[in-house]
Amino acid sequence: MASDKKYWKSVEELKAHSPLIEKLRNDEFVEEIPIDEFLGNKESLDNSSTTRRDFLKYVGFTTVAASVAACEGPVIKSIPYVVKPEQVVPGVADFYATTMADGFDFASILVKVREGRPIKIEPNKLAGGTTNARVQASVLSLYDNNRLKAPKSYDKAIEWHEVDAQILAKLNELKSQGKDIVFLTGTLASPSTNQLILKFKEKFGNVRHVIYDAVSESGALEAFEEMYGDRALPNYDFSKVETVVSFGADFLGDWQGGGFEADFAKTRVPKNGKMSRHIQFEANLSLTGANSDKRILAKPSEQAFALINLYNKLTGSSLPSKKTSVDVDVEKAVKQLKSTGNKSVVVCGINDKNLQLITLAINNFLKSEVIDTVATRNIRLGNDVEVAKLIADMNSGNVGALLMYQTNPVYSMPKSANFTEALKKVSVSVSFAMNDHETASISHFALATPHYLESWGDISVQNGTYSLIQPTINPLFNTSQFQDCLLRWIGSEETYYDYLKKYWESNILKGAAWSQTLHDGFITNQPNTVTALKNIDLNTVSQGVIKEFSAKGFELCLYTKTGMGDGQMANNPWLQEFPDPITRTSWDNYVTIGEADAKKLGLQNFNVSNGALNGSKVNLTVNKVVLKEVPVYIQPGQAVGTIGLALGYGRNKGMKEEMMIGLNAFSLYNNFKNYQEVTIEKTDGIHEFACVQLHHTMMGRDIIKETTLETFNDTSINPAETWNKTTKVSMDHKPVAASSVTLWDNHDTTIGHHFNLSIDLNACTGCGACVIACHAENNVPVVGKAEVRNSRDMHWLRIDRYYSSDMNDEIADEMEIGVLDKFNQMEVPSNNPEVAFQPVMCQHCNNAPCETVCPVAATTHGHQGQNQMTYNRCVGTRYCANNCPYKVRRFNWFKYKENDEFDYHMNDDLGRMVLNPDVVVRSRGVMEKCSMCIQKTQLSILQAKNEGRVVADGEFQTACSSACSSNAIVFGDVNDKTSQVVKLVEDQRAYHLLDAIGTKPNVVYQVKVRNTNES
Amino acid sequence: MRSVLKHNQLKRVITGLLLFLIFILKINAQDGDPSKGKELFNANCAACHQLDKRLVGPPLQNISEKRDQKWLIKWIKNSDALIKSGDKDAIAIFEEYNKIPMLAFPNFSDQDVIDILAYTDGGAAVGPDGKPIDEAYLNGKKVFQVNCAACHKLEKKLIGPPLGNISDKRSMPWLNSFIKDSQAMIKAGDKDAVAIYEEYQKVLMLPFPQLSEKDIEDVIHYTTVGDTEESVQLDAAMDNEDLKLYRKWIIRFVIALISLILIIVILSTKNVLLKFLAIGMIVLGLTYAAFNWLLQIGVDEGYQPIQPIAFSHKIHSGDNKIDCQYCHSSAKHSKTSEIPSVNVCMNCHKSISEYKGILYDGYDKAFYDGEIKKIYDAVGWDKTNAKYKENFVQKPIQWIRIHNLPDFAYFNHAQHVTAGKVECKTCHGPVEEMQEVSQFAPLTMGWCVDCHRTTEVSMANNDYYEEIHKALAKKLGTEKVTVAQMGGLECGKCHH
Repeated sequence: MASDKKYWKSVEELKAHSPLIEKLRNDEFVEEIPIDEFLGNKESLDNSSTTRRDFLKYVGFTTVAASVAACEGPVIKSIPYVVKPEQVVPGVADFYATTMADGFDFASILVKVREGRPIKIEPNKLAGGTTNARVQASVLSLYDNNRLKAPKSYDKAIEWHEVDAQILAKLNELKSQGKDIVFLTGTLASPSTNQLILKFKEKFGNVRHVIYDAVSESGALEAFEEMYGDRALPNYDFSKVETVVSFGADFLGDWQGGGFEADFAKTRVPKNGKMSRHIQFEANLSLTGANSDKRILAKPSEQAFALINLYNKLTGSSLPSKKTSVDVDVEKAVKQLKSTGNKSVVVCGINDKNLQLITLAINNFLKSEVIDTVATRNIRLGNDVEVAKLIADMNSGNVGALLMYQTNPVYSMPKSANFTEALKKVSVSVSFAMNDHETASISHFALATPHYLESWGDISVQNGTYSLIQPTINPLFNTSQFQDCLLRWIGSEETYYDYLKKYWESNILKGAAWSQTLHDGFITNQPNTVTALKNIDLNTVSQGVIKEFSAKGFELCLYTKTGMGDGQMANNPWLQEFPDPITRTSWDNYVTIGEADAKKLGLQNFNVSNGALNGSKVNLTVNKVVLKEVPVYIQPGQAVGTIGLALGYGRNKGMKEEMMIGLNAFSLYNNFKNYQEVTIEKTDGIHEFACVQLHHTMMGRDIIKETTLETFNDTSINPAETWNKTTKVSMDHKPVAASSVTLWDNHDTTIGHHFNLSIDLNACTGCGACVIACHAENNVPVVGKAEVRNSRDMHWLRIDRYYSSDMNDEIADEMEIGVLDKFNQMEVPSNNPEVAFQPVMCQHCNNAPCETVCPVAATTHGHQGQNQMTYNRCVGTRYCANNCPYKVRRFNWFKYKENDEFDYHMNDDLGRMVLNPDVVVRSRGVMEKCSMCIQKTQLSILQAKNEGRVVADGEFQTACSSACSSNAIVFGDVNDKTSQVVKLVEDQRAYHLLDAIGTKPNVVYQVKVRNTNES
Repeated sequence: MRSVLKHNQLKRVITGLLLFLIFILKINAQDGDPSKGKELFNANCAACHQLDKRLVGPPLQNISEKRDQKWLIKWIKNSDALIKSGDKDAIAIFEEYNKIPMLAFPNFSDQDVIDILAYTDGGAAVGPDGKPIDEAYLNGKKVFQVNCAACHKLEKKLIGPPLGNISDKRSMPWLNSFIKDSQAMIKAGDKDAVAIYEEYQKVLMLPFPQLSEKDIEDVIHYTTVGDTEESVQLDAAMDNEDLKLYRKWIIRFVIALISLILIIVILSTKNVLLKFLAIGMIVLGLTYAAFNWLLQIGVDEGYQPIQPIAFSHKIHSGDNKIDCQYCHSSAKHSKTSEIPSVNVCMNCHKSISEYKGILYDGYDKAFYDGEIKKIYDAVGWDKTNAKYKENFVQKPIQWIRIHNLPDFAYFNHAQHVTAGKVECKTCHGPVEEMQEVSQFAPLTMGWCVDCHRTTEVSMANNDYYEEIHKALAKKLGTEKVTVAQMGGLECGKCHH
C-alpha cells in the first residue's frame, strides 16, 4: 500500500520555488567541483587535442610499457678491490682483539670484521673480557649517521690544518699570558695518553688535567686514597665470595665500573651442595637486588646507618649511629658474614666517602680475600672536588683553554647552566667529540674524533694489566684522534701509533713482542703499587655520616640503566629499544615508586585496551631544581619513601629525533650524590610507556622452577617428584610423563649433530648482553616506541622477569579464598618480591606446534634439532605464532629497512653497514624467529669439513651463548657425549619449559636454586 | 706461444737443460738454435725482458748487434761481477734500469747464450708443440674468419661455395683477381667466374680490394691446411645447436597444427561434447604455456652481459690453462668465489702487455692489446717504463655480475669446492671455452635440489665424516650417501 506521507529532506523543500531546491534538482553536485584546481587550466584543456580515448590509450600504453620494463632484471655490478689486502678474503670474517673504552665502559673484546667492516663484538675470552649490552651495541654507534663527520669551528666547517694553526696560536698566546690550559676528560685510564698530556704540559706550562666522570665514584676513590694512599678503586674477586652483603651496590650492574658478574656467577651455581649467599640492602630494585637471595628494603639514609650498625655488631665497637628499621636483618647479616670469615665481603654503592671508609674498614676486619687492594682498578678516576674548582676557575676567567675529551659536561653536569656560563668565559673551548652533542655544539672548536673501532690506544683499567685498542676499520670520516691532535700541537712529527708503540716498547712490553700483544689484545704485568694501610678515626667518620644523612622526606635514588649507562650511546637504537631487565620498559626513563607511596600520591599505572601501559606524571624537586612531567612506573620492591630515576636519558643534541627521549636526570644529580632528598608533586597528563611485559607473576605455574639450597641438597627426596616435577598424564590408566605421550613420529637426530641450548637460571643475571648480541648477529630490526607499544617488538630473544606474589594455592586453601579472588591476588606482585629472570627464545621443539600448522611448510624441522624458518616461503598467515606456546615468533608488520617511518640504522647506508651479510634481512609480511644461529653452526661444520676434522666442544656457539659472560647460556651438540651441554641436559636441575604440552624443546633450563640458609 | 714459467719449474728446466747440454756440447756447434733459444728465453729471461719492449730490463731484440757476444756471455753469467769490474757499458745499464741487478745465470753454457741470441736475432719461432709456428696459417685463419666466414665454410656450401683446398681447383692469380673484384671478372666474361655466378643464384661476391696479396696467399694456405682438430669440434657443437633449433621449430609447428585442428573442430562441429573437449584442451594448453612462461621469469640461463673488459676465459683458462682458483682464489675458503682484484691481473700482465695468441671472433691484436691497456688504465701502470705511476688514483674495474642468487638464498663456494670437491665447471660449464662468460646453469632451486639429491658426498679421508658415515651407512644400508641424505635438502641450511 502506497503511503501518502511526504518526506522532506530539508526545510528548503517546504518553501515554494526555492532556488536551492531548483539547483539541487538540476545539478548533481551542490557545489561546483573545482576541476580546474586539479586538472589545470580549463581553457587549455578544452583546446587540447587529447581526447578521452587518447587518454585511455596513453594509460594503457604506459601500463604495458612499465610492466614490460619491469621484466628486465637489474644489472648488478661486482666491484673487486684494486689491490686486495692480503689478510682479507671476501666472505670470511676476521677477528681483531681490541678494547672498548668510552670512559664508562671498558672491555677486552674481539671484533668480527667482514670485508673491512666491524659487524659484531665478542668478548675476548683470552683476556678474561666480558661484554654487557652497551659494549655489544657499541659497534652500531660506529655507523651512527649523526656522527660529527669533520671538524668545525663556531659552527663552520674547517680544515684540520687550520684547526691546528688556530689552536696552536691560541695556546701559545695563553702560554705567554700565563693562563691555565685545562684538559677535562672522562676516565681515560690510558698510560700513553697520560704521558702525552705530561709532555703537553712541558710544552705549554700551565696545564692541568681534570678527570670528570658523569656518574661519579668519587666517594669510593677518596675513601681508598685516604686509607691506602692511592687514588684508585679496590678490585674484587667475586669468585671467592661465600657471603656478600651489599648496601645499595649494584655490583652486577655498573657499580664501580662493573664487570664482576662473570666471577660472581661462578659462586651462584650450586657445586658440591654449596653456593654463595647474597644479601642486598637497597631502595631501588636493581639487577643485583633482583638476583639476591635476600633483599632488604631500606632507604639510602637507613642503609647508611645500617652499615655503621653492621660495623658495630661485627667488631663490637660502638661508633655513633642511629637505629634503623632493618637492624634485625643487619644482625642476621653479621652472623652470616662471621660464618664465612674471610670469604665474605661487604660492598656499598652510596657515593659517600665516609660510608666507603666504613665499608673498607669492615672488609679489613673480615680480612676479606675477595677485596684486592693491590691490583687496584682505574676504571673510574673522576674527581668531583677538582671539577668544582675548575668551574670556579673558569668563572673567574683564569682558564684560557678548555680541552674536553670523552666528556659531555653541558649535558651531564648537575648544574649544567652554570657550566655553560663558565664555558663562555673560557677564551678557547675545544671539544673532541664523536657527535655534535650538547657540549660540542657550544664549544669554539668541535673536533671530530674517531670511534674506538677506528682508533689506536691503550687502556689500563686494572693495575698491572694493559690492553691495546687497535683500529678495525679505516676512519669513516674526516676525523683525527685526540692523541694525534696533541702530538701535532706539541710539534711532534710522530703519529699516535708510533708514539704508542714506542711507549709500550719502553714501558710496558718488557721484552714481549708487540705484534703478539696486539694479537692477544692485552698483557699482564705485576701490579706496581705498594699500598700501606692507614689508621682512620672512624668516630669522626660516623659523625660525618650522621650529619650527611639527615633526610626527612622522600629520597631519590639515581641509577644507571643496563641499557643506557651514562647516556653516551643514547643515539643507538638497539639500546633505546632494549627493554630494561627490571621494568621491561624500553625507550624511556621514569620514576619508579612503590605501590603504597603511589596510592598515597594518587599515582597510577594502567593498561589500555591493546595492553599497552600508561602512567601518571609527577614533578620532582631537588634542591630547588625542578624536573617536570616525569612519568611514573609503579615498581614492586621499591622501598617505601624512596623513588628511583635513571640517568642517561634526555639527550637532545646531535642525534635523531626519535632518540631524544626521556628526561635528563643529571639535573637532579646534586653534588654528584646518587641519593637526594626530593619532593614529589603529581601533575596532569598521562605518559605512554613502551613496556614489553604485561604480566608480572607466573600465576602459580612453574614456568620458572625454583627451589631452595636446602631442598636441593636433600638427597632423601627425588627431584623428579618434588622440586623438578615432571607433569604426568594418564596413559593406559597409568601415570606417565607428559612428554612421552605423542602423536608424532620422532625426528631421528641421532646421526650428525643435535644442538641443544642450556640456560642456567642461577647464573643468569638478566643483564641482556645476549639480547643485543642476538640483535647484532641476526639483523633484527628496530621498530620504535610506538610499535613496541603495539607489542610488535622484534627481539628474537627476550628475558622474561617474574615477581613472586603473596598469594599462592596453599595460602588460598588455608584462608579459604575463592578461585577468582585467588587469581586476582596472584596477579599482584609482593611488595618485596623474589625476582627471577628467564631468557626465552625459540625453544626449537622436536614436536613443534608451529610446524604442523604452517599451510606452506615454511617452518620445518632440521635433523640437527633446529626449527627452521624459511622466510622466502612464508606467506604470513601467522598461524605459527598463534600456535606457539612460547610466544617467540615475531612478525614483520612493516618493511623496517629503507623506510622513513622507521628511521633507525637500517634506513641509511651507513647504518646498514652493521648488517651481518650471512643473515638475510627479512621483508614485510613474513614471520621470523630465533634460528639457533644456524649460520654459525653451519660455518663451524664447514670449517671442520674443510679441515677434515671433527668439531671440538665449544666450537659451536650461538650469539647469545658467546655473549653470556656469566656462562648461563651454554650451547653444544648433544650427540657429542663429551660436550658440556650433555652434562647440563642430563643434570638433575634440567627441565623443559612447559613440558606438559609435550613439545620436547631443544632448549633446557636449569632450576633456579636460592640460598635461603640463614646462619 | 710465450709463457711464463714458475720458479720451481725454472729449476727443473735448468737441470734438465744442463743434462741435455752435456750431450750437445760434444757437438761443437757454433751456430745458435733459435727454437732452443726461445725455450730458454721464455724460461729464464721473459720475466724481465721482452724482445721489443722495455720491461724490468731492456728489450733484447737484435741485442747482438749492439753488444759483443763475449761481453753478453759474461754479463748473463754474472752481471754483478761485470759491474764491479768497472765495465762502462755494464754500469750504464745498471744505472739506467733503476740499479736493479740482473739475476746471474752461471748455469748457462756459452752455447745456451748463443742459442738465446739466435732467437733474439729473429730466428724462426716454434709453437708450444715444438713445431715451428705457421704464421701464414694463423694470419690466413684470421683473415678468413673476419672476411670470408660470413659466406663461406671450408667443407660446406653456404652462401658461397666451400673453400677447402680451393687452390687445387683454381690457380692463384685467378683467385687473386676474383677475390679483389669478382664483378669485373664476370663482366670480362671469364668462364669460370660466370659459371660460379650462375651456380650461386647470381649473388655477387663482395669485392675485397683491401686485402694484400700476402693476405690472400695466407687465406688460401689456410684453406689448404684446413682447421685444426679443436675448431672442427667446435663446428660439430655448432651443428648440434642447429639440430636443437630444428627440433624446437618442429615442436612449435606440431603445436600450431594441433591448435589449428582444435580451432577448426570448435568452429565446424556441432557436437557440444567435442566442442567442450576442444575448448578444454585449448584452455589447458594455454594454462600450461602461461605457467611455463611464468617459471622462466628471473631465470637468467645464458645471461651474458657485456663486461667493461672483453676478458676472454678461453684465452686465459683454455689456451693458457690458468687454474680457475689462481684468480678466483677465495672459492676454496669463502662463500664467495671472488672476482680477482686488479693486482692479481697485474701479476701476469706486468710482463704481458700485448696479446700474441690466437685471434678469435674477428678481433685483431690491437683490440686485445687495447683490452689489456684497460687494466693499466685502472691501476696506473706505465708500460714503457714498467712502473706504477706515482700519485695515480687507482680505480676498480666495475664488472657486471653474471651469477645472481637472490639475497634469501645462501650459497657457499668453499662448501662445494673444498668440502664437496665439486668441479667449477659442474655449475659454471665449460668456462675455458667461453670467450665471454655466460650463465651456464639456471641457478634455480630445482636445479640445486636435483644435484643434492643425486650427488654422493665425498667422505673419504675426511675425519669429520667418519662417525657420521658409519652411522648413516648402517641406517641406509648403503655406503653411498647423497647430499640430501646428509640433510642437504633442509630449508634452513640455505635460507637463513
